[in-house]
Amino acid sequence: MITALRMPESPEAAAEAVAGGGRVMAGGTVVMAQVNTGPIDAGELISLSRAGLSGVTVTGGVARVGATTTFADLARHLPFLKPAIRTLASPSIRNLATVGGNLFVPQPHGDFAVCLEALDATVELTGGRETPVGQLELGAGEIVTAVRFRVPEDGTWFFHKAMRRRLNSAAIVTVAATVRRTGNDVSAARVALGAVAPRVIRSPAAENVLLGRPLDREVLDAAGEAARADIAPFDDAYASAWYRRRVLPVHFRRTFEAVQSETEES
Amino acid sequence: MASSVVTLTVNGREEEFLARPAESLLASLRDRLGLMAAKRGCAQGSCGTCTVLVGGRPVMACLVPVETIEGGQVSTLEGVADGERLDEVQQAFLDGFATQCGFCTPGMIMAAEALLADNPDPTREEVVEAISGNVCRCTGYHSIIAAILDAADRRKHAAGKPTDSTDRQKHAPGRRQ
Repeated sequence: MITALRMPESPEAAAEAVAGGGRVMAGGTVVMAQVNTGPIDAGELISLSRAGLSGVTVTGGVARVGATTTFADLARHLPFLKPAIRTLASPSIRNLATVGGNLFVPQPHGDFAVCLEALDATVELTGGRETPVGQLELGAGEIVTAVRFRVPEDGTWFFHKAMRRRLNSAAIVTVAATVRRTGNDVSAARVALGAVAPRVIRSPAAENVLLGRPLDREVLDAAGEAARADIAPFDDAYASAWYRRRVLPVHFRRTFEAVQSETEES
Repeated sequence: MASSVVTLTVNGREEEFLARPAESLLASLRDRLGLMAAKRGCAQGSCGTCTVLVGGRPVMACLVPVETIEGGQVSTLEGVADGERLDEVQQAFLDGFATQCGFCTPGMIMAAEALLADNPDPTREEVVEAISGNVCRCTGYHSIIAAILDAADRRKHAAGKPTDSTDRQKHAPGRRQ
C-alpha cells in the first residue's frame, strides 16, 4: 500500500525527501504504471511535479531543459527535436512523460537519452554536481534537476528510430548523431545508439569510419557495420538480438538518407 | 494511510473528494465521482481507454496521481454532449459506425476533441498521430479516422452559421483554459 505521496516544492526539498527514502516520480508514466499493476505496492512516492523543475531556456546557443519538462513542451521550444519526439510514445503520454524521467527508463525505451548522448549533454544534479549524460549515476539523495546541451547547427543533427509500427512503439534500433562536415567530408561526429545494448551507448567505431570521409553509401554502410563492434543487443518482445545486430547498418544508413543523396548528387 | 482532500473542476463543475495516496485521476473519476466514461483498460498507459483532458490536453488518467493536479480543470466524455444533443465528434462517430464494442470510444473521442481544439483542420496523418495512443480492437481504425475528419468538416460548416458557432465554442471541451 502506498502510504503517502509527497510533493516537495523546491529542488532542495525534493532532494531532502529523496534522502529520506521513497520512490521518485516525475511524469508518472513509468512509476504509476507500476503502482497500478503491482510492482510498486508499498512505501512513499515523491512526485517532482511541484519542485519547480520544468522549463526550457536557450542562452547563447545552449539549451537548458528542466528535468520535469514534458516532451510536449520540449517539442514546442526546440523544433529540431520534433521529429525525434514524435517517435516517443503517443501525444497523451508526451503530455506527461519528462526529459529527466526518460534518463532512467530501461532500454529499449529511453530514446531521448539517445538524443542527449549524441548531443553530448551535461546533467545537472541537486547539490551543484554536474556529469556527462553517459556517466550519470545518482548519488544518495541526488536528483536530476536539468540537462544542458548546445543546440546543433542546421544540417548537423540526425535521428532515426526503427519501430514495429510507424508511431507509438518501442525501438528496434535508435540512432542519433551530430555530424559536422567541412565541404563533403565529416570533420566531427558523435554517434549514439539505443535499443542495442543494456544502456544507451556511443559508437566510437562508427565515428572513426565517418571521420574525414563523405556521407556516401559506401562510407555509411562501412560505419554501420563497424558500429556492430560496440553493441551488446538483447532479445525482447520487439526484436531479437540477432535481428537488431542484423538491421543496425540499414538503419544507420537511413539516419543520414537526406544528406546521402545530396552528397552523391554533388 | 492518510487520504487527502482534492478539489478539481470536472466538466465545468467544482468537485471535492477524498483521495488515497497516489490514487489515479481515473480511480477518482470512476470511484469517487461516478463518472464512468473513462475506462479502466491496461492500467499502464498503453491502451488509451482512460484518455481525458487536463487543462485542455489529453492525458492517460490512469497515470496521473490525482493529488498532483489539485485545483486543475478536467474534461471527460460526460461533458461533451449538451444534454441529449451530441457534439460533432460524437455525431460523426455515430453516423460513421466508428464504434463497435464501444470500450475505446470515450478515449478516442477525447483524443479527437483535443486534436480538433488545437487543429480544426487536421490531415489524415495528424488524426492518426493524435489517436496513436488509443487502441481499438474492433474497427481497424479506418471508420474512427474517417469520423474524426468528418467531425472537423462538420465544425467548419457549423462555424459558418453564427448560432451553431456559439454552441460549438460553448461545448468544445478541449479548449485551452
